[in-house]
Amino acid sequence: MGEMTLDVSTAAVRVDGLSRRYGATRALDEVDVTLERGITGLLGPNGAGKTTLLSILATANEPDAGRVLVFGLDPRDAAGRVEIRRRLGYLPQELGYHRHFTVAAFLDYVAILKEITDRRQRAEEVARVLAATGLEGRARTRIRALSGGMRQRLGIAQALLGQPDLLILDEPTAGLDPEQRLRFRELLSGLPGDPVIAMSTHQADDIAAICPKVIVLLQGRVRFAGTPAELAGTAAGRVWAAGERDDRAHLSWRGGDNRWRHIGDHPPAAAELVAPTVEDGYLLLSHAAGQ
Amino acid sequence: MNPQLRTALVLARVEASLLTRSLLVLAGLVAGCAVVWGAFGSAEPLWWIAGWRIGFGQLFLAMAVLVAAQLATGRARRNTMADLYASFPATAGTRTLAHLAGLAGAVPASLLLMATAAVVVQLRGAIGSPSIAVLAGGLLLVLAAGAVGVAIGARFSHPLAGVLGALALFLSSTLAHFSAGAQIWLYPWTASPDQLGGLPGPLAGYPPSGAHALELAGLAALAGIVALAATAGRARVRRWPAAAGVVVLAAICVAGALQLRPIPTADLNHLVREVADPALAQNCTTASQVRYCLYPGFGRQLSSVEAPVGAVLAHLPARPAEPLTVRQTAALSLPDPALTHGHPNREVTRWDAQVRQAPGSDGAAPASAIYLPAGSWPAGGGQLADARFDLALAVAEWAVRIPSQAIGAPSRQGLYLACVPYDQAREAVAIWLAILAAHPPVGELQGGLPTRTQFFGVEVRNTMVATWNYPGMGGTYVIPPGGGPQGTADGYLLAHAMTSLPEQKIAHVLADGWGRWLNWRTTDAQLAAALGIPVPSLSTPSPGSVPGPQNPLCTA
Repeated sequence: MGEMTLDVSTAAVRVDGLSRRYGATRALDEVDVTLERGITGLLGPNGAGKTTLLSILATANEPDAGRVLVFGLDPRDAAGRVEIRRRLGYLPQELGYHRHFTVAAFLDYVAILKEITDRRQRAEEVARVLAATGLEGRARTRIRALSGGMRQRLGIAQALLGQPDLLILDEPTAGLDPEQRLRFRELLSGLPGDPVIAMSTHQADDIAAICPKVIVLLQGRVRFAGTPAELAGTAAGRVWAAGERDDRAHLSWRGGDNRWRHIGDHPPAAAELVAPTVEDGYLLLSHAAGQ
Repeated sequence: MNPQLRTALVLARVEASLLTRSLLVLAGLVAGCAVVWGAFGSAEPLWWIAGWRIGFGQLFLAMAVLVAAQLATGRARRNTMADLYASFPATAGTRTLAHLAGLAGAVPASLLLMATAAVVVQLRGAIGSPSIAVLAGGLLLVLAAGAVGVAIGARFSHPLAGVLGALALFLSSTLAHFSAGAQIWLYPWTASPDQLGGLPGPLAGYPPSGAHALELAGLAALAGIVALAATAGRARVRRWPAAAGVVVLAAICVAGALQLRPIPTADLNHLVREVADPALAQNCTTASQVRYCLYPGFGRQLSSVEAPVGAVLAHLPARPAEPLTVRQTAALSLPDPALTHGHPNREVTRWDAQVRQAPGSDGAAPASAIYLPAGSWPAGGGQLADARFDLALAVAEWAVRIPSQAIGAPSRQGLYLACVPYDQAREAVAIWLAILAAHPPVGELQGGLPTRTQFFGVEVRNTMVATWNYPGMGGTYVIPPGGGPQGTADGYLLAHAMTSLPEQKIAHVLADGWGRWLNWRTTDAQLAAALGIPVPSLSTPSPGSVPGPQNPLCTA
C-alpha cells in the first residue's frame, strides 16, 4: 500500500453538497460544512440530521450525493477510507456494549480494531483513556455492572483510544451527571494534539462552554455556522424578562427568579431587554425554521 | 507485515482465547466426553470403531463451537455496535478472518476430548491402533462447524441462527444412517457405522476416513470462504474468494467421489474369508486341553476368556471326550450397501452364502465349540462379569452335554426353538459349576426368575415350564453351540440351593455318579435326594398350558 498524503491544514474536514435520504425522509439536504481544529458543536432537534452527518464523517454511513474530504482523503476510496479510520475516534449516539467483557478487555479489543497491535502500547493506551475518563478503578468490572453514566464514559474512552486526529462524538454528554459533564468539558479542552472534534448535543450550555464554533442543523440543512457568541447574537434585542406572560412571544417560560423570559419580536409590557444566550439564538432559529 | 493482517492475527489471538474460555465450548466438551463415555460403555476397545465414536463425541463439541463462533461473529451487530465497528480501520473482512483464525481456540478442547478418550481406550486394553485420519476427522469436524458458525454469524447475528445451524449439524449426522449405501460417508459424521464393531480388524477403505477428512477440511475452507465473501465490501474483493471457492468445491467433490468408490473386490474377498473361515486368520493356543482361537490383535483378551473356562473345568469330575474350542467369530451381515455397493449382486450373493457358513452362524455345522463374537467381549465393569458368567455357563453346559442336543427343533413357524432341560439334574449341575467359576451377584441371578406379577415360561410336552434368564444373557457375549438351551427356574433354584452346601460334599456326590448325573433322565429330585436337600420350588403359580409352539426337551 502506498503512503497516503494527508492534508492537515486548517480546514481538516470539508463537506460539500452532502445529501442522504432514508426512504421518503430527507435526512441531509445539500449540506456544506467545514470543520477546523478545535471543537465544533452541532446543535439541532431530534431528526435534524446530526447523527446522519456524523456517521457519514465517521465513514460508517455513505451519502447519496455530495463529497466529503477528511484531511484531504476521500472516504469513497477504499484506501482513503481506511486511512481516515486510522485517525478517527467515534462515539455513536446509541452504542451497545459487549456486556460480558470487562472494561479493560473491551478497550483492549477496540484498541486492536484500531490497529494498535503492540501489546505494551495497547496496555498504555488503555490505561491512559481509563485515567482520562475516571474509569481506572473499574478496569476489571464487567460492562453489565456499570451504570449508564459509566457506560457513556466508557464510550468516550474507546473513542479516545489511539489519540485520534478526528473525534466524532454523537451526544457524548447524554446520561452524564453535572459533575461528569464538567469533567468531560475539562477532558475535551485538554486533549493533546489539538484534534478536530465534532460533537452533537442538545445541551446548548455545553456548546457555549467549550465550542469555538457551532453549527445548527435543522431539517437536514445547515441554518447557522459561526461562533457561539454569533449564535447568541442572532437573538440580540429579542429576549426580554417580564413579570407577566405575553402570548405574542414565540417562546416564554418562567425562570427561577419567578420572572418570565420571552423570546420574540414584540416586547411584552413592562419588560426589560436581557442578554441573549446560545440557547436563545438556537430556539429562535428553530422557530424560524418551523420546528 | 500488512497492518490488516497483523490486526487480524492479534484479534484472532483474542478471539481464540475467548473461545477457549467459552462456557459453551466447555459445555460442548463435557457433553462430548459424556457421549464418548456412553458410546464406549463397556464395549471392547477396538480402535477401528473407537476412533469413530470419539468423532461422534466431537460432534457435540462441534455444535457448541458452531454456536459460540456464530455468537462471536454476530456480536457487534447484536450489541448495536455495527456503526462503531464500521468506523474502525479493521474492516469486516479482517474481523471475519480473525474469527476464522480464532477457531484455533477450539483446538485445545477437541484435542483434550481426543486425548482423554484415547487414554480410556488404551487403559481398557486397546485392540488395534488409532487411525490418524479418523481422529483428525473429528478435529476437522469441530473446525468446520466453527467455520460454518462464522459464516452464519457474518450474515445473521440472532443467536437462534447458530442454534439452528447446530441442530442441522446434529440432525445431518444422526440421520445419516437412513441413507443407503456409501452416501452415508458424505454426511458430516456417522455415529457408529453398524458393521464396523463386528469386523475382526480394520478394513482398508472402510470407512473411507482419509477422504472424509479431506471433505471436512474442504467444508471448513468453503465455510470460511463464504464468510469472507459475505463480509467483503466490494465485488472486486469478492473475486478471489469466488476463485478459491471453486477450487475448494472441486476438492470436496473429489473427496466425495473417493468416499463413494466401491471397496476393492480383493479386500472384500479377504474380509469374507476371514469371517467365513476364521481359522485361516486366527491365532490359536491350547490351555488345559481347550483350544482358544482369536483374531490377530485380540491376544490380550485371552486371560480374561481363559479364567471362567478354566474355573469350570477345574471343578469337573470328568471331561467330555471331545476337545473344546473357544473361537472368536466376526458378525458380518450381507448385503450391506455401505460395504458392498458397486459390486454385482451375483458377487454379493456369493459372499453372503460364504458368511452364512461361518462358525456360530445359523447355517454352520454344529461343533464342539463356543463362539465369542468379535467386538462383544466387554472391557470391564458389570458387563464383563455378565460375559464371564455366560461363558462359564456355556462351558458347563458343554461339560454336562446339554449343548450337544441343543440344536433346536424347527417349530411350526419355521423358527428354531431352544431345547429345554426340564427337570434334568444336569442343568442344576451346569448352573452350579458356572456360579462357582464366575461368582456372579446373587441378586442378578435371582432377577432372572419369574415374579408374582410377571411369569416367564415356555411350553414343553404340554407343560408350562417357568424359565430362568440370567440378565447378562441379553448380551451377545457368547454364542453356545446351536444357541444354547433355555434355562429353567427349577434348574436355577436347585443350583442356588447347592451353593449353600459344602463344595466338597457336592463334588463327592457328583464324582460318585458322574455318568448318571449327565443322563437327561436323571431328575432334579434325584439330585436333591443325593445331596440331602429338599427340591426347591417356585412360589409363582404357573398360568397353565396355552396353545402355541412347543419347545423341545433336551434329550440324550
